[in-house]
Amino acid sequence: MRNKVASYLALLVLTSLLLGAAGCRASLKMATTTSLYDTGLWGYLEPKFEKKYNVALDILSLGSGAAFEYAKRGDVDVLTIHDKANEEKFIAEGYGVERVPFAYNYFLIVGPASDPAGIKGMNPEDAFKKLFETKSGTFVSRGDNSGTHSKEKAIWNAAGFDYEVVRKAGAWYIEGGKGMGPTLQMASEKQAYTLTDMGTYLSYKSKLNLVPIVDKGSILLNVYSVIAVNPQKVKGVKIDLANSLIGFLTSPEIQKLIGNYGVEEYGLQLFIPCAGAEPK
Amino acid sequence: MPLIETVDLCQKYSGRDILKNINIKVDKGEVFALIGPTGAGKTTLLRLVDLLEMPASGKIYFDGRDATESKKVRFEMRRRMAFVIQKPIVFNISIYDNIAYGLKWRGAKKSSIRAKVSSILEMIGLSAYKNRDARTLSGGEAQRVAIARAIVTEPEVLLLDEPTANLDPLSAAKIEELITSIIPQYDTTIIMATHDMSQGQRLANRIGVLINGEILQTGDPGEVFTSPESREVAEFVSADNIIDGVIVSSEEGIVAVGIGDNKIIEAISNYPVGEEVCACVRPEDITLTLSKTTSSARNSFIGQITRVVSTGPLSRIEINCGFRLVSLVTKRSAEELALEKGKQVYATFKATAVHILKSKTL
Amino acid sequence: MAEIWQGLVKAVELIVSFDPEVMSIAGRSLTISVTATLLAGVICLPLGSLIHFNRFIGKRTLINFIQTFYSIPTVVVGLFVFLLFSRAGPLGGLNLLFTPTVMIIGQMILITPVLLGLTVSALSGVDKAISETARSLGASDFQTVVIVLKEARFAVMAAILLAFGRAISEVGLALMVGGNIRGFTRVFTTAISLETSKGDIELAIALGIILILIALIINIVLNRLQQR
Repeated sequence: MRNKVASYLALLVLTSLLLGAAGCRASLKMATTTSLYDTGLWGYLEPKFEKKYNVALDILSLGSGAAFEYAKRGDVDVLTIHDKANEEKFIAEGYGVERVPFAYNYFLIVGPASDPAGIKGMNPEDAFKKLFETKSGTFVSRGDNSGTHSKEKAIWNAAGFDYEVVRKAGAWYIEGGKGMGPTLQMASEKQAYTLTDMGTYLSYKSKLNLVPIVDKGSILLNVYSVIAVNPQKVKGVKIDLANSLIGFLTSPEIQKLIGNYGVEEYGLQLFIPCAGAEPK
Repeated sequence: MPLIETVDLCQKYSGRDILKNINIKVDKGEVFALIGPTGAGKTTLLRLVDLLEMPASGKIYFDGRDATESKKVRFEMRRRMAFVIQKPIVFNISIYDNIAYGLKWRGAKKSSIRAKVSSILEMIGLSAYKNRDARTLSGGEAQRVAIARAIVTEPEVLLLDEPTANLDPLSAAKIEELITSIIPQYDTTIIMATHDMSQGQRLANRIGVLINGEILQTGDPGEVFTSPESREVAEFVSADNIIDGVIVSSEEGIVAVGIGDNKIIEAISNYPVGEEVCACVRPEDITLTLSKTTSSARNSFIGQITRVVSTGPLSRIEINCGFRLVSLVTKRSAEELALEKGKQVYATFKATAVHILKSKTL
Repeated sequence: MAEIWQGLVKAVELIVSFDPEVMSIAGRSLTISVTATLLAGVICLPLGSLIHFNRFIGKRTLINFIQTFYSIPTVVVGLFVFLLFSRAGPLGGLNLLFTPTVMIIGQMILITPVLLGLTVSALSGVDKAISETARSLGASDFQTVVIVLKEARFAVMAAILLAFGRAISEVGLALMVGGNIRGFTRVFTTAISLETSKGDIELAIALGIILILIALIINIVLNRLQQR
């Protein structure tokens, strides 16, 4: 009987040791935005990074809101996102080291070919104004504090609207609460308008019944940046590996690859490299 | 030194007294039957002896040692005993495994287990079914397995709680056969609880009568049967005729008991004149005739039959002789005499068949 | 409905070609859930026996408490475990967030109420006379517990299967504490969730079918073992 208790305890101790050992693996944890992840760019770049630096790259695909939160908690070491306002706040609060843009593309408003609200070719602010005033088209919003959602709010603000008012404006404004891909699918189902980044739109285009409606306007600029979490404010983050990733993304070789990504498949560039400099 | 001894043993459940001051001694190799009506406390007493429960007060001595000393001591002693409960309970594994478990728990070697279990299976006649799921057995077969399971561990004391109570007569007979064959083979001491007086008589060396939580009489079966020491015992052993009266005369060991209405029952007793007593007569000791007999029996009463009940080969005849008498005759005799309700008969019995009890004033 | 057929076809393709990604996901899902179930079993069977065989104040309340957590939402457990193991949390120093290890721990926490509660239920279903008989035959307390568990083995096995089912089929916890990292913490349920959100319905259905097949095989194997 004593033997049984002893071996039972030994089993528990051994298991605990084995389980604990998992915490010692060398890895860099990165949070990336769902719209970036869903384009497949990371699937393409991940093995290259892992091979070059001989470290596992653990990629978590999250909404920007969650990404910032995880970074503040120290659960990820580096972020790749596209939410300029919140990124600057993140750095101002001391959580991030530096905002390093590495690629950009444009947001666009897509919608049904029939364009019921008649906003095709307008600039973004005017298009939103018309949608609000005429209520003649449905709009699907991300509604999830993502980078895309932040951009949408920025456009409403630029058009002179209080976002809280817009939210309650009526049945024509739908908050999906989903990632970019599913949001596009919902818009397609409902034949509604939505704001999307070029990358995700192109990846999903074949499955959708939506066309570009508004694609010109400086406010539509969508910059992807990489930010290392500040080790001075957040304990335990791996700054060296984070810096390696930053170096990797801004290196000429990888910048070229980013620029070429998707060209063959879609006939357009999904991302325009910008190596650390803020594009105009 | 007795193998099992209880001293002033008492047990209570939820404040109710179940056993009061039980004092019994069982010697090594004895078969001791604990008889009494259902609810008398027989199961509780057996459980206490098997050390499955702690008594409210009192002591139990096993082989001279206080069994209530410590949990460890209780456990060791329990391993030297085995208990078979009334309900045939088997584990839902094979018959072989059921029987083997007691030995497995004691750490016996596989080969030794195999030998012992096989021989016991032979003894109970279930060798062919050893791999069968024990749940598929009938009540009688399950009880046989339960007994085999108990004796395979070669216990010094075997406790049986109404082992045949739930079984049909054929299975019951087989179990009794098993019990009687175990005794010489394993030299086990057996304490058996039963409400069946005749079973106690058949199988036991000594009987203890437990009624309402108290041991009212212990002695050898014949003694208890014919000479109950109290009214309750008398009622239990079916000395059906218990007649109250007073001793009116006593001469050379023969007394006359006045039972009212100027009637006298003659009996053998040493009680003095004036003593209030009960006269007990067993039904089978009363002979019935249609006319007055000239036999040597000193007690003869005329009366009318009030009831005739036949069970199997016997007939119970209730007679009103001014007081109630019950006679047990063979069915054949009843038929030959054409006994039926309303018929007038003479009920006769010897003085030696009368057992005199002191009347207890409650 | 054509998607289901397409999904079925894709499932067969993936299985027959031993698709490496799917193999890796399958292996990981099984390892995590089987380990979680085994470890939970090692804790819950003795603990359940302790609870069943002993009388103590608040026993009824404890059992009710355990039963309350049978169907606790997996995201809630996920959130709780996340907060526990996050770097900012009390166990952050162990560096276990977003690893298969923390998923095992999380699933263990998730299925313990079910396994514990059903073990106590299973033991309660065994006739008291069984444990009395065992004791009277000389079984020690430990040996008595073992034989009663053996009597209840069908009900106990059902509990284990249910616990395993809950572990391998949950998404909320795996997503929150695992992070769905490709090649490291991605399991069937999180992969299905991801593929669905990406719009690749066919692949999602294929993965779902494979998961069901695996669960079916495990069920059959365990039932065979029980017959013996």
